[in-house]
Order: sequence, then C-alpha cells, then structure tokens
Amino acid sequence: MRERRHARRLLIAMLAIAAVLPVLTLLVRALADVWRAPAVLPQELGLRGVRYVLSDGAGVVEAVVNGALIALLATAGALALGWPAARALAAAPRRVRHVLVLAIAMPLLVPQYAIGAGLAEWFIRLGVTDTVLAVALAHLIYTLPYVVVVLAGAFSRELIELEEAAATVGAGPLQRLALVSLPASRTALATAAMMALIVSWSQYGTTLAIGGETTTLAVMLVPFAQSDPQIAATLAILFLAPTLIALAAVARTLRT
Amino acid sequence: MTGASLRPRARGALPAVAALVVLFGGALAGAAWRSVQPESLVRDSAPRLDAWRTLLHDAAFWESLRFTIQYTVLATAISAALALALAAALRRAGRGATLLAAAPLPAPHLVVATVAVIWLAPGGLADRMLGVVALDVIGDSAGIGIVLVYVYKEVPFLTLLVLAAWTPGVSEREEAAAVLGAGSLARLRHVVWPSVRAALTIGSLVVAAFLLGALEVPLVVGPSTPTALSQYALEATRTVEAAGQATAAAALLVGAGLATLLALALGRLVGRADA
Repeated sequence: MRERRHARRLLIAMLAIAAVLPVLTLLVRALADVWRAPAVLPQELGLRGVRYVLSDGAGVVEAVVNGALIALLATAGALALGWPAARALAAAPRRVRHVLVLAIAMPLLVPQYAIGAGLAEWFIRLGVTDTVLAVALAHLIYTLPYVVVVLAGAFSRELIELEEAAATVGAGPLQRLALVSLPASRTALATAAMMALIVSWSQYGTTLAIGGETTTLAVMLVPFAQSDPQIAATLAILFLAPTLIALAAVARTLRT
Repeated sequence: MTGASLRPRARGALPAVAALVVLFGGALAGAAWRSVQPESLVRDSAPRLDAWRTLLHDAAFWESLRFTIQYTVLATAISAALALALAAALRRAGRGATLLAAAPLPAPHLVVATVAVIWLAPGGLADRMLGVVALDVIGDSAGIGIVLVYVYKEVPFLTLLVLAAWTPGVSEREEAAAVLGAGSLARLRHVVWPSVRAALTIGSLVVAAFLLGALEVPLVVGPSTPTALSQYALEATRTVEAAGQATAAAALLVGAGLATLLALALGRLVGRADA
C-alpha cells in the first residue's frame, strides 16, 4: 500500500515536470540576454527578445494579427459548414456515418505541405495566393473535420426531439436555432471552435506553401529555433499562449 | 411544419463534403498537375514524367523516404508502448494525474521542438547539467531528436485513447481474472489488450500518418542530411530551376500515397471496431 502511494507520487511528480518544464524553460530563456555554456543559470537577464518582438521591422505583430485573422476565418467557415454536416452525420445510418467521417477526416492524414503546395498551384493561377483569405481557405481543410466530429457528438436524438417539440408549438427555424439548438449544443460548439482555432493557429506546412509574404508566427519561429534561442523562446511563448487560453476556456465551458 | 421534416437529411453534409472535395481534391490534383508540368506556371505543355524519373533516380529521395519511415515507425511504436504503460499507471492515480498527462496536448509541435533545442542541442541545458555526457540528439543523422519530440507530443494523445477504451467493465473483468489467479502480465495480455487494441492501433495509424508528412519538427531538430520527405520537397522548391517544383510535387505525392495507404488501413479497422 505504502509502495503504491510512493509510486503514485513519483508518477505525478514526473508528469508535473513534463507539463511545467517546457513552459518554464521558455520563460527563463526568453528573459536571458546572456546565457553562455557551460553556465547552468543565465548570466544576464533582459528584454532583448521582447524588444525584438515589439520592434517595427520584425513583423511579429503583423504575424500575430495574420494568424489570428486566419484562425478566426477558418473557424467561422468550419462552423458554418460543419453545423449542418454534423446534424446530418449524427442522424445518418452507421455505415453512411462511417464513410462520411472517413471522407471528412482524410485530409488530416495527408502531408500538410503537400496540400499547401497543391493548392498553391491553383491559387497562383487565380491570383489569390499570399492573402489571409487564401491561407484561411486552405486551413478550412483541417478545421472542418475537427468541427464536424466534435459537433456530431452533440446532436443527439434528444436534441432533435426538442427541436421538433419547439416546431409543434410554432417556433420558426431561427427561433429554434436561437432558443433550442444553440443553447443545447453550447459546450460542443465552444469545444469545436476552440479546437479549430488551435488547429489553424498551429498550422505550419500549408501556411508556408501558400502564405508567401502573409506570414504567421509558426513560419516566423522556425528560422530562429536554432539560430537565436532567446527570440525563438519569446516567439514560442506568444505562439503557445493562445492555445493555453483556448484550452482553459474549453475547460471552463465543460465545468459550467 | 411536421416533425418529420425537421429530421436532418444527408444533404446537410453536402456543403462540407463539397468544400473538402474542392479544396482537398484540388490540392491533390494541383500537386499531380505540377508533377507532370515542370513549367506549369510559365506555360502548359504536354504532360511529362521527367520529374518522376528524376525523383526515382535520386538517391537523396530514397534516403529521405527511408529516414522518414524509420523515425515515423520508431516514434509511433515507442509512443504506443509508453501510452499503454502510462494509461495503466494513470487508472489508479486519479483525475488530476490524467489532466497533467494530457497537458502537452494543446502545445504546438513547433513549441516542443524549440524547447528540445534549448535542452538537447550540443551545449544545451542538459549538456550543461550532466557535464561530461555529451548529448548529440539535435540534428543527429539517426533522428533521435525528432523521435523524442514526437514521443513527448504523441504519448498524451494515445494515452487518452487507451484510457477511453479501458472502461470500468474491463477493470471488472481484470479483477475477476485476478481472483482466478491471473498475474498482472496475463491480465494485460488476455483481458486489457483485447479491449484497448483497436483504440491504440487506430490512434497509432493516425499518429503515423501525421508524422510521415509533418515538416516543422524535422526542420528544427532534424539533420540536414538525410532529410524528412517533406523537407526534401521543400528544398527542391528552393532550387532555381522550375523542374524543382515538379520534383517536389512528385515527392509530396509519394508521401500522400503512403498516408492514403494508412488511411485505408484505418478505414478497415474503424469499420471492424464499429461493427
């Protein structure tokens, strides 16, 4: 019994280290202006990384705005298309559902850079490459499957019966949506939206292939990862922060 | 309006399926077109297979393919084994421990790769703390750095899948087997494994398909040679010749083909698990 308690404590300690150490590492590294080997602790703390991020020429603020706009567009598009698809999926016979899920999830399995390079072929011809809208459209390939799968779980038989009951007392389609469907699937909607935001925000390969000058934090971070760890760490914190906020928001929604 | 008319019809899925067919199908068609049209952006001409010939005769491509499959198989197998062990340990450790184990899930791969460089590069924090032990796993030709980053990222995902399949019913059967004298290994093999196998295999296939095509982690922690398959394609696009774009497209289609094979296997498994 005592051994089991020790093992549990050891496990929790190891998991806590694995969860916290990366964030702590990034924070310390981002604030270490001088940290030369073999020193285990920084020799000089400072804000060089933060100054770089905020400087006009770096384009980091622009990359953050681009990434946020792309994520919002890709999420809005996925919710608009995913909502009716998820309803249909939830009501479909098992075999049809199985085929539809696989078809919708298939793009998640194909190399992202391959999808980006293939789409770039058409976007260049259409003259729409290198725009926020083009990248958001490409990201829709990844956000839509997540949204459909998460929302499909929310459309139960009970929800459809509730909608039917609202219809029998005279509620129109918009009233049913606002008063029944949306409130009943609030948690799933929040989870789907947050997942889509995270997926789009974290995208690298497709954005690299299509974005061109429309850069995002992910594309900006790669060259710094080996050449300048302080700026890389500062960018990584900026890159990580929205995903943690999104996760906290989902956790809060799930609790309420 | 009658209740029956409110039933969601299959056509509700059409806009989403159409969007994916246009975008995803268009992407694959675009890559295929580019691979047989080395100068497609300058002028369209009769399809040529030069890029495919170049690719198939390029030793660096085969080396990239071997390297990509090697780290994909290694990282997936290690992640699956660790996920099974971690799920077994977490079952008795409480909800807080499971939440801690899931913590790396939302972190982008690129962030984990950045942390790996800070810790594991020559002269990095691990090197400094361990002193004499020289670590050489960032940019190593065996791809150990890539495997480590992927294991850190994928173990939580697979662990959650295993835990979802490890239902109270399975635990009850485990207890019954224990009462009948089955040891822990026998319980794992005959009771737990048959219950969690489908979830772990499906999850592992999803992980493997993702790793086959991912670009950012090999770019940050991988070696300059051999390169990952997507990295090989990226480098081909950066050559001055237009033919490089076609070679890149061909290489990416090989990656897409491998992923499709995995997806087909996945489809069969999901179908079987669903039956």
